[in-house]
Amino acid sequence: MLELKDVHTYYGNIHALKGISLNVQKGEIVTLIGSNGAGKTTTLRTIQGLIHARHGSITLEGEELTKIPAHQVTMRGVSQSPEGRLIFPRMTVLENLEMGAFTRKDKDGIKSDLERVFTVFPRLKERIKQTGGTLSGGEQQMLAIGRALMANPRVLLLDEPSMGLAPILVEQIFNIIGELNKQGTTILLVEQNARMALSIAHRGYVLQTGTIRLQGSATNLQEDDEVRKTYLGEH
Amino acid sequence: MEKYRTAITIGLVGAAITLLFGGWSMILVGTVVGAITGLNYGQHSAKRGALDKAREVLLPALIGNIIMGLGGTLYTFVVVPLTGKSLNYDQPLKLGTGRVPLDSIAVFIIGLAAGIAIGVAVAALIAYLQGLPENVRRVAFIASLIVFLFGLPFFDQVTGLDWIAAIITIQIFILLALGLNIVVGYAGLLDLGYAAFFAIGAYTTGLLSSPQIDIYWNFWLVIWVAAAMAAFAGLVLGAPTLPLRGDYLAIVTLGFGEIIPVVFRNLISVKLVEPFTRICFVGCDPKVDVVRWCIYACQGALDLTAGEKGINPIGRPMIPFTDELLFSSRSYLPWYFLVFGLIVLSIFFIRRLRNSRIGRAWMAIREDELAASQMGIDPVKTKLLAFSMGATFSGFAGAFYGSYISAIFPSVFDFSVSVIILCMVILGGLGNMVGVIIGGILIMGTDRLFLPQIATLLKDFMRHSVLGNVSNPVLKDFLEISVDPNQMRLAIFGLVLVIMMVVRPEGLVPSEERRAELHEGEEEHGDAATEAAA
Amino acid sequence: MQLVRRFLPLVIGIYLLLFFGPLAGFDFFRIVGEIYNKPSLLLQQLINGLANGSIVAIVALGYTLVYGIIELVNFAHGDVFMLGAFMALTVIGATGVTETSTASEKLTAALLAGAAAIIFCGVINVIIERFAYRRLRNAPRLAPLISAIGVSFIVQNIGLFWGGLRSFFPIMGVNSAAPKAFPDLIGRVDVFKDWFGLDLPITLSTKELMVIVVAAALMVGLRLLVQYTKIGKAMRATAENRDAAKIMGIDIDRVISFTFLLGGALAGAAGLMFGLYNNTVVFTMGFTGGLRAFTSAVLGGIGNITGAMFGGILIGLLAAFSDQYFSSRWTNAWVFAILVTVMVFRPTGLMGENVGQKA
Repeated sequence: MLELKDVHTYYGNIHALKGISLNVQKGEIVTLIGSNGAGKTTTLRTIQGLIHARHGSITLEGEELTKIPAHQVTMRGVSQSPEGRLIFPRMTVLENLEMGAFTRKDKDGIKSDLERVFTVFPRLKERIKQTGGTLSGGEQQMLAIGRALMANPRVLLLDEPSMGLAPILVEQIFNIIGELNKQGTTILLVEQNARMALSIAHRGYVLQTGTIRLQGSATNLQEDDEVRKTYLGEH
Repeated sequence: MEKYRTAITIGLVGAAITLLFGGWSMILVGTVVGAITGLNYGQHSAKRGALDKAREVLLPALIGNIIMGLGGTLYTFVVVPLTGKSLNYDQPLKLGTGRVPLDSIAVFIIGLAAGIAIGVAVAALIAYLQGLPENVRRVAFIASLIVFLFGLPFFDQVTGLDWIAAIITIQIFILLALGLNIVVGYAGLLDLGYAAFFAIGAYTTGLLSSPQIDIYWNFWLVIWVAAAMAAFAGLVLGAPTLPLRGDYLAIVTLGFGEIIPVVFRNLISVKLVEPFTRICFVGCDPKVDVVRWCIYACQGALDLTAGEKGINPIGRPMIPFTDELLFSSRSYLPWYFLVFGLIVLSIFFIRRLRNSRIGRAWMAIREDELAASQMGIDPVKTKLLAFSMGATFSGFAGAFYGSYISAIFPSVFDFSVSVIILCMVILGGLGNMVGVIIGGILIMGTDRLFLPQIATLLKDFMRHSVLGNVSNPVLKDFLEISVDPNQMRLAIFGLVLVIMMVVRPEGLVPSEERRAELHEGEEEHGDAATEAAA
Repeated sequence: MQLVRRFLPLVIGIYLLLFFGPLAGFDFFRIVGEIYNKPSLLLQQLINGLANGSIVAIVALGYTLVYGIIELVNFAHGDVFMLGAFMALTVIGATGVTETSTASEKLTAALLAGAAAIIFCGVINVIIERFAYRRLRNAPRLAPLISAIGVSFIVQNIGLFWGGLRSFFPIMGVNSAAPKAFPDLIGRVDVFKDWFGLDLPITLSTKELMVIVVAAALMVGLRLLVQYTKIGKAMRATAENRDAAKIMGIDIDRVISFTFLLGGALAGAAGLMFGLYNNTVVFTMGFTGGLRAFTSAVLGGIGNITGAMFGGILIGLLAAFSDQYFSSRWTNAWVFAILVTVMVFRPTGLMGENVGQKA
């Protein structure tokens, strides 16, 4: 469904992505793991159109996403919970969620999706009138994911949802992500917490200094020696 | 064709000037065109030997100078008749007390031939010099520069070109631009109120050598006092900006740049009285004193700055053993050499500064203040030094200006002056002295020579050729009063700023690093350069 | 001892202000005396200040909107305000309506002038953003500021040129640089006296009423737009976090263009109001007006819409006070002094600034 072919991205003269090729099938959770600086967030930013690939192609069900501006990528059906959550601090929870549905025109669909988000994240419904900046880290993460869901995307990109959260919250969030996928959402998940990521993903890619080092099913990766040593902390 | 692009460009710029001034200007412009062409081709030439370089530049120089000459030709045969002058009007040479009568056709022929010939010769000479060993080259280059700058005023006088007054003004502003370059170019502090220091220099001079408060000090002393006052003002006005980031800093400096002239404009009734001895709130007549402890100007309020009327006359420099009236409004030459000397001294001094520790500290602050402070550079001291050093030079300029014009008015020091000086620095290239000087010549030259000449020619053209043929009175009125290049100067300076920022922010004569760092951000879409890779 | 150290600078500052103040017209004791002797004069000046302050507030909104969304001090904004006044003057001149025309004619002329000024200034602002600022969005911070200064000069020159077009617009008068008379279409009807039959020492005229009512309406309208409409929310989102807004599917370029359109329209309206209230316009009014408006925006907290409104009114009151009790020659300097003081000692303004991060 979402396909990257030999994508090269640069920051000025720094070659951040050196020929990334990956794909996400409909209904899958695919995870992109790797250490800091490997290029995971850069990949998501490139897909979203916040930064443009210099070479290579990105397609969504055959449609070219490579050179189009970010807001059009969203309109084509890619939404994201970005690194750092980036919620709107002075807008209320409700307004944040409404912003997620910015590109949509179907009032009824938006309304039912809003209900759905509140069902998945009941905490958000409690804080519906609070401004984003006053929420805790975990609540902000929920808001970020909820907001991305409001776009009713074809592919949902999640950038480090576990960052800065207490372990119990991390488990909660990942359970929810797994649930969402079971309900039919296609997800590309970027994570530093490889263990959690591989536990809910179908397939994975290991990214290191801008290139794909390993790929395969989640189970295979979990059993791979190098992955175990480097990313899972096992010997 | 590609190879000659520079020569053609320079030739075209020269042609623009000769198109407006014709005749003798071709010799002057030809010299400059030749020099720049020689410098450019000499430096970039693949050939090593001096003679080879000279030989190589001959053709481009010829092309450039012919183009320049075309401008003069158009002037003589198109512009002159269109503006109603006779083709044979008299343009005599003024040699001492004698005159050599020449008609304009003769001047044209001499100017064209000499202009092209001298231009090519100068180009060959400069290119030749580029091929010589380093130290010989530097000496020869400076020598030729000095010959040129000494010869310029005499040429100007003899040919009746009369650019000297404008040239002196250009020089004053070059001095100002060099000073601003320290603040904006080296230290990276956008100062929008630089004219305030100019005003302080000028008013200090005015107060210390005029009838305003009856003090008449020697100019050579006053110029130093003025510079010191300006430096002090730099400290005082720079201090509040220390904690501010870029755009706020700029606006605060703008604020001070506006407050200072208002102060000067309004200090016409100065009297200092201790406030608490005057306590009487209720039922008092403010004109009748209760108890007053007067500090200053007790006999009557002092008119310190004469407000709008300005301070005049202001004393002149005097050199012992020479005629007391050497520096008078009779002759421009002494002033020209004085300001020229000031510029030379300033360049020398600023170069020393730039290559010293403080100069490097300024560059470090400009690039990254936080990193610099972590390496032991005190940002407070460094910034304050930048402000006060920069202000010092405008103090010199202000002193010279006051004495030269012999009168100063507060309206001379308004915001547009600060912006014009900023224009020069940006056009030339931030932090680059040669660039700043070129920027100064271009901007001020346009303002004081180019534009007025276009205005005059256009007016004559209108009066002679156009207005007679226009019947519509509305259109006629419009053409007569609204088409005035002199009134376009604000737009021209504005356009320079906008175009430079959008197209070429590193300036005309940039250093390579600046060009790279300024264009880097254009590679990606979005704020990519600041975003960390995951 | 600690108390002394904390308050000593303040005490010294106040003493110096009282000592050197009279030089700037700030003769504390004289001023107190004047106020005591004629309090109605102060009130009258404050009413006048409220009206002019409302106009300043409208212009300040433009500054604050733009700064909130792209962190740029749009130097040229004040000059667009001036263009609005000139456009209004031109339209009124073209209609031929004067002080002696009928009320409905005057109203029509004013409305036409207003529409023209609003549309013209909005479009001009969008054009300015497109050509002078858009490409510099990722450049070092000072580049768009310098470009803005350039635009300000260009626009001032347009005003100067426009003011000299007496051949086409006789209402411009004889001299391009001189102030031009703006027809007094509203007239000074004393509201207290003629409408309410009150005999008070102060006057509230229909002019002040018009300005205050229209300004209030514009401010309320803007508030509603920003708070409740889709485009308003998009503006807020873009201001708070540009990358997140992009991810939401918001077209940043269009939102920014719209912000400039809005700011320009407000400046145009303010230009008309200024002309109708003060009955004089000059091509340099953009600089003074812009300075006061920008100070208001900073005073209230840059990026903060409510702050800009209150800041504008405050500055208007202060300027009126200064004009009356110090001398109008010093007012600009005092406004600048306030600007510098706020920027140095309380850069977030009185009501807190409202600027987001970019990513």
